[in-house]
Amino acid sequence: MKIITFNQKKTSTIGLEFDELIPDEIFQWEEKDFQKYEIPIGNSRFPLKDYFDVDVVGSAESPSDVKIILNGDLTRIKYIGTKMSTGEIVANSSVDLHCGSEMSGGEITVNGNAESYAGREMTGGILTIKGNTREFCGASYIGDWRGMSGGTIMIHGSAGKQLGECLTGGEIYVKGNCDILAGIHMTKGFIQIDGDVTRWPGGQMQGGNIIINGKLSRLLEGFVDPEIITNPEIEGKQITGKYIKYVGDIARNGKGNLYLDADKNRNFL
Amino acid sequence: MEYILKNGIVYDPTNKIDGEKKDVLFKDGKIVDSVSNDAKVIDVTDKLVMAAGVDPHSHIAGPKLVVGRLYRPEDSRRGIVPKKGVTRAETGFSVPSCPATGYRYSRMGYGTVVEAAMPPLEAKHTHEEINAIPNIDVAPLPLFGNNWFILEYAKENKIDDLAAFISYWLRLVKGYGIKLVNPCGGEAWGWGMNVHGLDDPAPYFDVTSREVITALSKANEKLGLPHSIHLHPNDLGHPGNSRTTIESMKLIKDIAKNSAVRDQTVHMTHIQYHSYGGTNWRDFVSNAPDVADFINKNDYVTCDVGQITLDETTTMTADGPMEFDLHQLNGLKWANKDIELETASGIVPFIYSGRNSVHSVQWAIGLEMFLLINNPWQVFLTTDSPNAGPFIRYPRVISWLMSNKRRTEMIENREVHKAVEKKSALATIDREYDFNEIATISRSAPARAYGFTDRGHLGIGAKADIAVYNIKPNEIDPSLEYEAIEKHFGLAAYTIKDGEVLVKDGEVVKVVPSHTIWTNVKGLESQENAVIDSIMPAFNKYYTIKFENYKVHDNYIPNPIEVKVKAGQAAK
Amino acid sequence: MVYEEPITDYDYKVENCTCAFCGCNCDDLVYLVKGGEVKGELKDGVVVSGYVDGGHVVGCRHACRLGASKVMEDMDQRLLVPMIRDEKGNLVETDWDTALDKAAQLIAHAVRPVFYGWSETSIETMHYGLELGELVGAVLDNQATICHGPSLQAVQNAGYPVMTLGETKNRADMVVYTGNNAMNSHPRHLARYSTFPRGYFRKRGRFDRTLVTMDPRYTDTAKMSDIWVGFEQNGDYEFYNAMRAVLRGKKLEKDIISGIPKEDIEDLVESMKQAQFGALFFGLGLTHTLSKQRNIDIAINLIQDLNKFTKWNLIPMRGHFNVNGFNIFMALEQGFPYGVDFARGYPRYMNGETNTIDLLTREEPDVFMVIAADPGAHFPSGANRHLANIPVIQIDIHWGPSTELADIVLPGSFIAVEAAGTSYRMDGVPIYMKKAVSKPKNTRDDEWIVNELLKRVQKIKGIKPEVASK
Repeated sequence: MKIITFNQKKTSTIGLEFDELIPDEIFQWEEKDFQKYEIPIGNSRFPLKDYFDVDVVGSAESPSDVKIILNGDLTRIKYIGTKMSTGEIVANSSVDLHCGSEMSGGEITVNGNAESYAGREMTGGILTIKGNTREFCGASYIGDWRGMSGGTIMIHGSAGKQLGECLTGGEIYVKGNCDILAGIHMTKGFIQIDGDVTRWPGGQMQGGNIIINGKLSRLLEGFVDPEIITNPEIEGKQITGKYIKYVGDIARNGKGNLYLDADKNRNFL
Repeated sequence: MEYILKNGIVYDPTNKIDGEKKDVLFKDGKIVDSVSNDAKVIDVTDKLVMAAGVDPHSHIAGPKLVVGRLYRPEDSRRGIVPKKGVTRAETGFSVPSCPATGYRYSRMGYGTVVEAAMPPLEAKHTHEEINAIPNIDVAPLPLFGNNWFILEYAKENKIDDLAAFISYWLRLVKGYGIKLVNPCGGEAWGWGMNVHGLDDPAPYFDVTSREVITALSKANEKLGLPHSIHLHPNDLGHPGNSRTTIESMKLIKDIAKNSAVRDQTVHMTHIQYHSYGGTNWRDFVSNAPDVADFINKNDYVTCDVGQITLDETTTMTADGPMEFDLHQLNGLKWANKDIELETASGIVPFIYSGRNSVHSVQWAIGLEMFLLINNPWQVFLTTDSPNAGPFIRYPRVISWLMSNKRRTEMIENREVHKAVEKKSALATIDREYDFNEIATISRSAPARAYGFTDRGHLGIGAKADIAVYNIKPNEIDPSLEYEAIEKHFGLAAYTIKDGEVLVKDGEVVKVVPSHTIWTNVKGLESQENAVIDSIMPAFNKYYTIKFENYKVHDNYIPNPIEVKVKAGQAAK
Repeated sequence: MVYEEPITDYDYKVENCTCAFCGCNCDDLVYLVKGGEVKGELKDGVVVSGYVDGGHVVGCRHACRLGASKVMEDMDQRLLVPMIRDEKGNLVETDWDTALDKAAQLIAHAVRPVFYGWSETSIETMHYGLELGELVGAVLDNQATICHGPSLQAVQNAGYPVMTLGETKNRADMVVYTGNNAMNSHPRHLARYSTFPRGYFRKRGRFDRTLVTMDPRYTDTAKMSDIWVGFEQNGDYEFYNAMRAVLRGKKLEKDIISGIPKEDIEDLVESMKQAQFGALFFGLGLTHTLSKQRNIDIAINLIQDLNKFTKWNLIPMRGHFNVNGFNIFMALEQGFPYGVDFARGYPRYMNGETNTIDLLTREEPDVFMVIAADPGAHFPSGANRHLANIPVIQIDIHWGPSTELADIVLPGSFIAVEAAGTSYRMDGVPIYMKKAVSKPKNTRDDEWIVNELLKRVQKIKGIKPEVASK
């Protein structure tokens, strides 16, 4: 096991782009390599050592033996864990855009909030966000109809707009509340929201499952055939509770399922 | 500057040079027969030397393309290459940015590309894009097949007026020749409809595709344009459309050719999409043998193939109704662009997959066309880029044509669907192209079809547009080494354009501005003025742009290559 | 209304000029010019080629009030000399060399430069701007970022079934305006393109068309319409979703959806299905309510659905006369329409990351160049606060709120009046806008200014211009 710890020395208002510092790339790096490394900031590269002290402990045979720990104020550190396929990253603060985007494996834990595009186009691995996240979590790249297709995103706080946009697989769990249009355009996959949801989950969805355990304020007309289901089994997961199950979004000939907690959403019956 | 390209193995079908070891000499951008002792020697011993490629049909510049780029950022992202040396950053896979288009053609050893569809109203846009594409010369073909004025002329059979109109409009929009796309179908699409076959009239105008094709062909020959009509016939992509295709070709049979610089009187484009049998997608089969047989027996026809490359691509054509059908089929985002009084167009992303039976059979039909048409001067290499696949797949298509082994392997390994064996005859054809035939279908023949006398060959006086590939024709067995064929045709050892080395070892080393090739017909000035006077009331009433602002101003054509034609007189 | 006497006191006419105001790009304007000397050809008082040197536009025929006022009152608060802000914070007049050199120094040494604007200048100017942006690794963005950006995102998600405006004029029997008030924002849109003109298949003009306005407000456009659908604010998405559902044959469950009775929705869908040719024009009312790009997304999907029954197309009501041009230009040159970041040597496009407002509110930019735009007037205060803290270079023709934020002011010229150039209409039709009169003496063309900046930055970076240029 090799533990690489980044301790922040200096912050920057211009974002630092961390996409080259993933286990796949740096598993053989020693401290001197980090001393030499220049990190992209704006249109230039600057020495990483000006911004971070890097401690390397232990050794790694392969990227999967690497654990990266990031300490300090990471609110201007973009692309943490982008395209990583294995290993582990722990960020001990709120992080900037694109955390865990396009990751295919491994594990990222954010002990704070994550900015927008967390877990964008994920194909595998686990992304845990202990705080909140903003828009387009688990979404696709703009224009692509294929979003996150595998892996798990676990959000302990709340999620912003358009969670799991164009989801084509994988699982997203939100312990807190969720803003509008969760699971918009999704075709497959699983979203579970434990808190309240503002408006219109599942807009234009064609397939997949959305479970809302909190209260929903407004539902789209495209969701039809409500039926009460108790303890449903969804994608092999046994869920406990009483739910109103809808099929939709028929505005797009969708065949997705939306489950609303029956007790908290009596007004829809 | 003088150069000697030394000891290459030269294939120049135009000049009947078939794999001869010889030097190619050039000076000041032209091929010459002698150079002084100061000439710079480029040693290409035993390497494959051909004229630079000529692409007869590709969509590289214009409003459709920009919609493709604008609404497919996910495609733009796929082809990103950072800026390096003399080249700017590249983006895009199926719809590359303009600089990327130039670099990529250049890397494949191409020097000339025909932009196959320019809506006259937005011709300025097309020309802006041509100017943004470096390193290749571009000839744009304006769309005439659904133009209201032309529909009227065709209906009333006013060939003289039509010829004058075409002559004037080519100069107005700086176009090269006559392109027809789904004649009458584009107009029908104005009402969300389509026409089927040659005798289904356009709504309101009450004119048929048969009349429009015939009239435009007659006008084309009357003017003696360097290219024949360039026909995208009706019913593209419909099972059973081969009948329409053959009927369309028959229409031209009795129209006499009036040009010495080309052999054909009709060019059928992306013939693969028009050679389908069956009645629906279930009983869909290849009718390539029938279409190829017709072409074999009628030398007034040339065609390009539009070979499916089994990629995720972006389909875009002026055939608006077809694109809507495609969108209904795959449900992916649909773009449409109808141009007032002139044409329609549509765009849909499409994923051609070898696991899909229809796509696989389409793939086979394209190859059948290549292999069943006997005379390589009648069939040209295209993928109808980006419709059937991006142009960067030409080397792969070449490798398929040169290697029966590879084709068999794909069928046997199920890289393509097993329907290929049932629904096409591809598996039974073992013909393999040789380098001379490849040179024919990718340079000499397309150049001949367009009446480009200054390119597509290496004769004295031709432009020094030359491609050298890291292939030793006398040592390689393309049938076995198809991977090497694909690799090296994709990365030219040298691409020389107008005597300048633009690509060396697969890297772009010099970037030069492109040229725009257009046809200027002389001698019909009084007829043209009469025609313009007669259409001006309608123009002012129904266009939303003033005639003064319609034309393509000279500043959009900074580097013109003007092809002068004396109306009615066959060019030499 | 006050009656105004027709203008008779002029010397020359320049015809077929293009209006440089909104996205309609009306190209039938006649400028009435007084004074000056014709450099070119004059025929019966009409300048048929060239321009009037030293003349002033005193009248503007055919233009709407917006266009005419922009063209005619052009000298009001005009920037006429380059200026640099001194230590005391005052803008002081200087010469071109000093101003350009200082601007070039700032751009050449910036780490996160942003070049914003472009929508009110020519494509020819953008060429140099892009080359400069690629050279220094800047972010290039235009006004789409604060107006039709969501439309472009929706287009990227859902598609783009558009047409040129003449299709509407000649064919449309149903015209829908949604989320915009064309009568005020694009005054000639109804008159010249969509509703009133007599088209080939609509010989009686207005009488042959049904005009529908979908807008929470009872706007001037709504007042002229046959049908006004006043759905509730932020209810756009739900409203269009219900329309799509009805189109698929669903019986609506709720009695009122987004403030509209379900019967009305059903009737509306039915009449849209019955139209022979429908045209939908949408504006910022859709892009900037709650569901932002998803409103457009679903409107586009609705249009696609309608095409199964009849013919429908749409056009975004672009604001500035060349805002579409910048998107087209960037897409053809570098594959992405706006908010393009060249920091890493290749273009990146990521909404929320590479857009001007996001960058400014995150306080990332260290040099900001604004050309032909007015962020001071349009940006949120958080963004403007950062602009006040960093060097701002302004290329513009008028003194405006952005001038107050600017540290270097470079006075440009007025495209389509004082300088020629290409623009793209809202429907993508390119128009070459001609020059009618000469520009004020000490100002320069935008094209020249940006090219000059490029040359000076190349010099600072030690690059030979011929290597850098394509």
